[in-house]
Amino acid sequence: MLKKFFLKEKKDKPKQKIIVVSGLPRSGTSMMMKMLSEGGVSIVTDSEREADEDNPNGYFEIELSKKLREGVVGWIYDAPGKAVKVISYLLEFLPADLTYDIIFMDREIPEILASQKKMLERRNEVSTISDEEMTQQFQSHLKAVKYWVARQPNMRVLFVKYDQVVSDPAKLAASLVDFLEKPLNTEAMKAVPSQSLYRNRA
Amino acid sequence: MRSVLIGFDSFDPNIYETLAAQGKMPNLSTLAGETGYSRLKVSAPPQTEVSWTSIATGADPGTHGIFDFVHRDPSSYLPYVSILPTKVSAVGEQFVPPYTAKTMFSEAADMGFPATALWWPALFPARLEVPISTIPGLGTPDVRGQLGVGTFATTDPQEKKDKTRVSLLTKLGEGKYSGFLEGPMTKTGKEIHPARLEFALDVLDDGQAVLRIGSTELPLKLGSWSSIFEVKFKLGLFFNVTAITQAILTQTRGKIGLYFLPLQIHPLHSTWHYGAPKSFLKETWNQAGPFLTLGWPQDTTALEEGCITDEQFIALCENIFESRKRVFYHQLSKFKEGVLAGIFDSLDRVQHMFLRGREDLAHGWYLKLDQFVGEARDKIETLGGKHRLLVMSDHGFSLYKHKVHLNRWLSENGYLKFKDGGSDISKVDWSQTSAYALGLNSIYLNVKGREGQGSLNPDQIEPMLAELKSKLMQLHSQDGEQAVSNVLMKHEAFSGTYVRLGPDLVVGYAPNFRASAETGLGKAPEPIIEANHDHWGADHCIDADAVPGVLFANRDVANIPEVSFRDIPFLMINKHLDQSHLKPPSEQGRQGQGNIEERLKGLGYL
Repeated sequence: MLKKFFLKEKKDKPKQKIIVVSGLPRSGTSMMMKMLSEGGVSIVTDSEREADEDNPNGYFEIELSKKLREGVVGWIYDAPGKAVKVISYLLEFLPADLTYDIIFMDREIPEILASQKKMLERRNEVSTISDEEMTQQFQSHLKAVKYWVARQPNMRVLFVKYDQVVSDPAKLAASLVDFLEKPLNTEAMKAVPSQSLYRNRA
Repeated sequence: MRSVLIGFDSFDPNIYETLAAQGKMPNLSTLAGETGYSRLKVSAPPQTEVSWTSIATGADPGTHGIFDFVHRDPSSYLPYVSILPTKVSAVGEQFVPPYTAKTMFSEAADMGFPATALWWPALFPARLEVPISTIPGLGTPDVRGQLGVGTFATTDPQEKKDKTRVSLLTKLGEGKYSGFLEGPMTKTGKEIHPARLEFALDVLDDGQAVLRIGSTELPLKLGSWSSIFEVKFKLGLFFNVTAITQAILTQTRGKIGLYFLPLQIHPLHSTWHYGAPKSFLKETWNQAGPFLTLGWPQDTTALEEGCITDEQFIALCENIFESRKRVFYHQLSKFKEGVLAGIFDSLDRVQHMFLRGREDLAHGWYLKLDQFVGEARDKIETLGGKHRLLVMSDHGFSLYKHKVHLNRWLSENGYLKFKDGGSDISKVDWSQTSAYALGLNSIYLNVKGREGQGSLNPDQIEPMLAELKSKLMQLHSQDGEQAVSNVLMKHEAFSGTYVRLGPDLVVGYAPNFRASAETGLGKAPEPIIEANHDHWGADHCIDADAVPGVLFANRDVANIPEVSFRDIPFLMINKHLDQSHLKPPSEQGRQGQGNIEERLKGLGYL
């Protein structure tokens, strides 16, 4: 029912692209959303998930993005020109009749796993999967997603290394201006990835 | 859509990266920027006609059907040139397109855009049903319908050449000679023979001569190529064939030497569908000037057989490069939208002949091509507006120090049995033969029901492939160098409708090794591995992973992981022609997916 309802919401194909920030959870997607927000990009968020110790600046998410696989896509037809966070696992379920500029966050997997572990603990979740197993599975997932996403006619992708964001935010801000082909407040953007955010290193 | 592709046949990434690091490739380095350059994965085998066809179709040989320079008829085992197939019809034997798969050019035309392909391999004869403007490249025959050999006219009655035609000059008087060229076949009574065209040569002094042929009078200077000129052969009362060629006076002291390039199709007077449309050919020929039309116009045979010198060969390569630049720039000046692609292949020929021994000369061509890219970019910029530009190669290059006589190896290892003391494919005891090699990278099994005299049952195929693969990987030269670095089984190398027609094994030779030319034709000279002392001292028909190509673009190619030949149509026309490699991640094997989902749910992301 829900799927049908949202599919009905489809509107005419918009001309502006949707900016999608993607990657594995804890790869720096929220930090990138914050940078874009500071740069002047409108963010698609319902603010349902509040800022916490894991993401002190907030999650910049919309809960509906978690339902993409179920065909809940109507909401994204209102997103052109704005930025939305979609984890890498769900990228392939974005509607094919829209166009996307995807900023794909890349972070060392041990750092991601360390950060995820802390987040799981705070959420009182227990993982039974070993780090070795998870590393291998994330690596093959990322390989498949990156290969696929770079070859979609309706998608352009910029791969961004997390540690480079932190070490040289000014350069990254400039490359985002190039990639998105729009003026952004780079001064405000480069202040976001402070070293304080570079936590949970393995 | 406005997309330009400049193809540099055999432009090698190792050489480029070395020269770029020395600051010698300013234009390509600028295009590369930080993310506009990548090594390019090429299709196997990395042969020119296979590779450019894979690039045009975005698919491997299993989909387009060109697997090797040489294919075979399984019923008779007879080899034939894969890119020059013919079909007998009511009007006689006709050339037919070597493949029918969709290309980025035909797709662009289907999308309503103009498409122009210049010197792209395997596009002869023109596909008249598809509105693509073409000047074909590799695979275009000479005026006799063959791959083309030249004529060496000499006063030396002892002169003999392996492949080049020798025409004895007759002395008519002091400094005056006559000779003849042999053209297309004709019939007189019941006799079929080549049509002849007489010429006269007046040697004025040690450095100059005048050539008179038909209505043409050409001044010749010792050691310099003439301009392109027309020759007309009379094949009947009302039937003439006009060809083009170039001549070079190579010797005037002691004996006279005069070399003619292979007689080539005249684009405006061709009996076959050389290119298309005719108005395009006429306008190009008249506005941009004449150009050679043979698929392999840089006459490596003449150099190998001593008809011309190194410097004369290089001058020919330069002339060809300049004439192609003229045509390309002419088309560029008119380019408003669609797809424009041009292949420049003189570098390939120069590397074949000089990468071993005259490395600096070969490297000089990289600098020349870099300069061309700078000029072309300037011209593209003057057109205004947005455009896509790709500069790329079909494969890299390697030295060719050892010839591998693969049929000899098969024979000595008990897979191929010759009879009557024979040593080629025409003298094989097929009842005791399980495998044979034809082409430069292909091994076929002698399978019952497929080959004319097959010996292997279906249950023997897999073990035989595994055995051959394993043994080939152990093949070494006398000094212990590994000769083969990869062997791919048919299903590993190819996908698509035509896989069944392909070779059963694709042999990837290690750098420094290559199949001998004799292997390509099914011959088996001894020994298995022979030192290569030929002028042809470098090659690329080896392991595809050892000779990647290059890809430069004015868009971000570094953000395309594992960029390969499959991606070129997408980069040019934003459309994949073959989708087989583009399964969504969730359909690429489910292993581990459950664990990822569990993790994502735990983190609150699902």
